[in-house]
Amino acid sequence: MIALYREGTSPLHRAPAGAKVLVFMIVALAITLSAENPFTVPVAAALAIIGYLAAGLGLGTLLAQISVVRWVIVIMLVTQLIFLPPLAAATNTGRVLAVIVLAALITLTTRIPALLDATEHALGPLRRFGVDPARVGLLLGMTITTIPVIMGIATRIRDAQRARGVPVRPATFVVPLLILSLKHSDELADALAARGID
Amino acid sequence: MAQKNRFEIRDITRIAVFAAIIAVLGIPAAIPAFGGAVPITAQTLGVMLAGAVLGSWRGAAAVAVFEVLVFIGLPLLSGGRGGAGVFAGPTGGYLIGWILGAFVIGAIVRGNIRKPSWWRIALGSFVGGVLVVYAIGIPVLSLVTKLPLGQAALSNVVFLPGDIIKVIVTTLITLALYRAYPAAFGRKPAVTAKASVSAR
Repeated sequence: MIALYREGTSPLHRAPAGAKVLVFMIVALAITLSAENPFTVPVAAALAIIGYLAAGLGLGTLLAQISVVRWVIVIMLVTQLIFLPPLAAATNTGRVLAVIVLAALITLTTRIPALLDATEHALGPLRRFGVDPARVGLLLGMTITTIPVIMGIATRIRDAQRARGVPVRPATFVVPLLILSLKHSDELADALAARGID
Repeated sequence: MAQKNRFEIRDITRIAVFAAIIAVLGIPAAIPAFGGAVPITAQTLGVMLAGAVLGSWRGAAAVAVFEVLVFIGLPLLSGGRGGAGVFAGPTGGYLIGWILGAFVIGAIVRGNIRKPSWWRIALGSFVGGVLVVYAIGIPVLSLVTKLPLGQAALSNVVFLPGDIIKVIVTTLITLALYRAYPAAFGRKPAVTAKASVSAR
């Protein structure tokens, strides 16, 4: 499964996943709440640069992350320039961009299993409302392993239809995709039930 | 979710599979719409279908599972985006709106009835998949970009035609799925579903 994670041994890589997410949420909230402060964007930008360097990712990775969201930035900037003064538009966009690259920093330095464990752990308090964290963990893990299966089904349908010259329309593609996928889901459920998991 | 809403294993696999379908529909060229003329992101189609096919709780759960995976960094959003950053960005509200939207679609389409009617699917996907999503997405967009609410709503108008098309496509696909595989709509893939078709 392709993930955005980058190998590394920096302090950021070794920090516990839950702590990283928590710190990010606090920082993101602070950046959003202090929108009017002129120092917010420079401080947030400096924080992002320090973060990427500390993670051993380098500024190239930071630029690559910015490039991923370039269209979001362009659209944001353009729509705001219509209604707002240029400085305000630039500040708003810079603020959002800083939050986005800081969030990406978590993703780049944390393995998916660690984040899955952290998610399961964070759901612990919801146990009293009937949420079973282990079940949620099973669900998340199952989805990750199912994505390649569904992708395979999609490829098979496309190839078969191309071979028969079926006109490509959403309905002719999605309906067989849904049927085969839901059949797969029922088979999976039977297989799990047969192994005593219900 | 109280004890009576506890998901069974069949529900769990359905939720997982539908979350995976939403992910696969986000892959470019996975679904060429109208000969590739309309570049619709099929991902929101997946969200509407999740509500219409799985019903409110399971549909919302499938969308939520998909988004948790996006949040923890799988690049599953259309365009290969992923990570916590997309939730912090200006379009984060739409993602939250998808979860509630799928729930509303399920509630309107499924209700207490087994067989979905075309007008319930169309109404449900419009109210849940468009109105609810906009109702959460636009205020968040306005909040994040500091754009006044009215202008944020205005910049959203370009997406309306595509979303209307998706409502129509969702209706057609859900009806076709019901004809082809009624078991998809029931808790138990059983005789009752087939009987209701022949009795129609």
